[in-house]
Amino acid sequence: MNHLSSETFRENARAALADVHLRGALKNATSLFGERRRVAAASLPNWEDLRSEARAIKDEVLSHLDKYLEEFVRTAESRGAKIHWARDAAEANTIICRLSAERKASVIVKSKSMTTEETHLNTALEAAGMQVVETDLGEYIIQLADEPPSHIIAPAIHKTRGQVAELFTSELGTPPTDDIAQLTSTARATLRDRFAAADVGISGVNFAIAETGTIVIVENEGNIRLTTSLPRLHIAVMGIEKVIPRFADLDVFLKLLPRSGTGQRLTTYQSFITGTKRHATDEGPEELHILLLDNGRSRMLAHPVTRQSLACIRCGACLNACPVYQQIGGHAYGSVYPGPIGAVITPQLMGLEKASQLPYASSLCGACREVCPVKIDIPRLLLHLRGEISERKGSARERLAFKLWARVMMSPVLYKMSSVAGRVLQRVVPISKAWTSGRDLRPIEPRSFHELWSDE
Amino acid sequence: MNNEARQEILSSIRTHLAASAPFDARESPVNHAVVLSAQPVASNLIDLFKENLEAVDGHCIVAHGDAEIAEALTQIISALQKTKLRAQRIAISDAPELERLMYMTDLEIEELGIAPNASDIFRFDVGITTGQAAIAETGTLVLDSAHERHRLVSLVPPVHIAIVDASTIYATVGETLSMLKIGKELSPAVTFITGPSRTADIELTLTIGVHGPQELYVIINQSPRCT
Amino acid sequence: MKVSLFVTCLVDQLWTSIGVSSVEVLRRVGCEVEFDRRQTCCAQPAYNTGYLKEARQVAQRFISIFEESKADAIVSPSGSCTAMVHHYPQLFAGDNEWLPRARAVAAKTHELSSFLIRVLKVEDVGASWEGRLTWHDACHGLRDLNLKSEPRTLIRNVRGAEFVELEHADACCGFGGTFSVKYPEISLAILDQKIDAIERAGVNAVVSGDASCLMQIGGRLSRKGSKVRVMHLAELLGHR
Repeated sequence: MNHLSSETFRENARAALADVHLRGALKNATSLFGERRRVAAASLPNWEDLRSEARAIKDEVLSHLDKYLEEFVRTAESRGAKIHWARDAAEANTIICRLSAERKASVIVKSKSMTTEETHLNTALEAAGMQVVETDLGEYIIQLADEPPSHIIAPAIHKTRGQVAELFTSELGTPPTDDIAQLTSTARATLRDRFAAADVGISGVNFAIAETGTIVIVENEGNIRLTTSLPRLHIAVMGIEKVIPRFADLDVFLKLLPRSGTGQRLTTYQSFITGTKRHATDEGPEELHILLLDNGRSRMLAHPVTRQSLACIRCGACLNACPVYQQIGGHAYGSVYPGPIGAVITPQLMGLEKASQLPYASSLCGACREVCPVKIDIPRLLLHLRGEISERKGSARERLAFKLWARVMMSPVLYKMSSVAGRVLQRVVPISKAWTSGRDLRPIEPRSFHELWSDE
Repeated sequence: MNNEARQEILSSIRTHLAASAPFDARESPVNHAVVLSAQPVASNLIDLFKENLEAVDGHCIVAHGDAEIAEALTQIISALQKTKLRAQRIAISDAPELERLMYMTDLEIEELGIAPNASDIFRFDVGITTGQAAIAETGTLVLDSAHERHRLVSLVPPVHIAIVDASTIYATVGETLSMLKIGKELSPAVTFITGPSRTADIELTLTIGVHGPQELYVIINQSPRCT
Repeated sequence: MKVSLFVTCLVDQLWTSIGVSSVEVLRRVGCEVEFDRRQTCCAQPAYNTGYLKEARQVAQRFISIFEESKADAIVSPSGSCTAMVHHYPQLFAGDNEWLPRARAVAAKTHELSSFLIRVLKVEDVGASWEGRLTWHDACHGLRDLNLKSEPRTLIRNVRGAEFVELEHADACCGFGGTFSVKYPEISLAILDQKIDAIERAGVNAVVSGDASCLMQIGGRLSRKGSKVRVMHLAELLGHR
């Protein structure tokens, strides 16, 4: 897979800015999603209270995560689910490959799961000789295109219908058509074969209820219901942060998630799955395996500012609101998780060194914080990460510059001298091209306000 | 369950939470006001349900008793028979009243399947089930797998018709969630269905009918004895 | 009412008329204005770039200077600088000596429009300005200080000024401090959305409460040869 890397973020962003089609698609998508979210939120007079409550529930869980996970495991196991723990991506993939191989699986259907993208599960399954098919339409499209998702909710948002049509023609041999209904119908027909033949269904999890051992998965297309009803084995993959305490807590989250993600009151389907079927002859899978993935999440618990990263319910609202994401799209971030939330969790999951540019690629405008249904203070998180990065791997030149800056700012004499020096130097030292390539720069005032005041 | 991984992860969680304690103490307490305002009381749940289901491209018919339900089924299916959705092979769940209702309709069809299994279900054009409950504020149908064998019948055929008793319409999602749990264990599979399946994954253009049914009909049975 | 002016390093060095107008407006509404010449910066540049140690040093200096003031309020013509001062308690969390001092100074610090409307309850400062203008909501003022209606109320009372609401007035201008030079292409792409909206609004001037946004927007407008000028709220309110 030709994935962009977070380490080349600057180049990625430049390329994205030059892509006229992409920018058009992003503008449409983000403004449409943004407007729908706004309307949906405004339709609930107690929206702010809901956000507060959701955040309070998440804070409660995260500050006692071990306890709630253990409760979830107990209740889920008591209903017949098998639980697996994976410390990292490799372990998760190994477990899932083993489970599939043990059951001699050859066809695996998958529904959308960011967590499995994070672990690059499909690559591992294919390497093990198994055929994996993404069944969410957007994911199916990017799977055919061999690209990563560019948005948390709508993974193929960067593709025009023409591009999708070309893709279907070259990969599936279907006659070229621009008709979206026709394209959808093609995907449906092709994928139905796979559903019918599938030995294993792999899904994500939106919420895992500690009280009842239930996993809850939401969707619009119906592929999750098919993935989790037809195959004999259902594997549900979840980050350890997905657990919430009580079944009744779902009310708050089901009000916030669909509205924040797509502006819907409810997505078409919610599946509440609790363990395995009661009788062998009942419909549904014979086995349910739930995989709990850490992969760096437990580390984020170490500080209240980073711990809130784990409150994320993956709605994508922050992406749509972000002026940076709106211009460059998801691929530029070089991570499965793009946008504001991606800028804060990618460095934490992958390591600061691997994604050190991301926390700086923000104007700190705060639009993300405003729309986040669980009130994650992303700007504060970005600043926290900038602090960590400057401490651990900051540029020596920049550190020196700020040391000098502090000296100047702490001394009125130095401050005055520097403004005098600035007035002279601005005539000879070329001002940063980074500014002047697109913008004029105001000259330093011939007399500072300090001096004008003294004149009075 | 892989114990070593479990131990390590739980231990990592505990260690990092402990490390957070001094910083937690410094955070100014955030006032997470927990005041959930009272839900508006719906006057007519049937009307509200119908309005909300139709808003998401579902169809809602109110019927009073078996004769009217059978009539509704006749109308729906014969209309569909004139379209490319065919409606000739009808699958019904194992709810006992459905077979009876189908015979009352006198429809001409090619096949009637009762709770077909996974290898057969794909050839059916229409799936008919009952619903265990409905939610007025969202236009949602609630299927509880413990009560009926309708998981595949409600999902695979391109048309889904569900019959719901008016007395099982709840005002809100919150109430419904409570009901699902009260006095009993949750069923292995409960499904909320709000309209036909949809996607906007290509250019954000809404398309109805993807993997799940493209048509959803909910017949509300308002028994003549109740108002 | 005695006010201590926190003019901000940006205004001091690059846009003194904002400071001059702020003093003019405050005096016009009856305030006595003092200016502590020891002041330099609120530490925002260091804080935003992740240099917390240096940010604390400079913030301590700010606190030491301004806590000595006998004025009733510290007023600043900058939403972002005011928001920075309001973040001082967070910067000194856990510090038994500096936290209470940070809290005290933060509680007394107000942005200009907020001070006029919320503290002095003044909506009309007797200003006049002829022409069509619009308002850009600077991010920190909007989201950290909740300034939305306050500037608009003040502008609507400027005699002769025709106010039009800007499309996406609350969209970021793309400045973001060092972001504007670390990622200039992205900064410009975001900026151009704002510029397009301003051009569509058909105004003579765009007004905002933060000199940084005005530098960003003004710098691009002038590069494009636009006749639209940028103006700080203080300059508008100071105009007669």
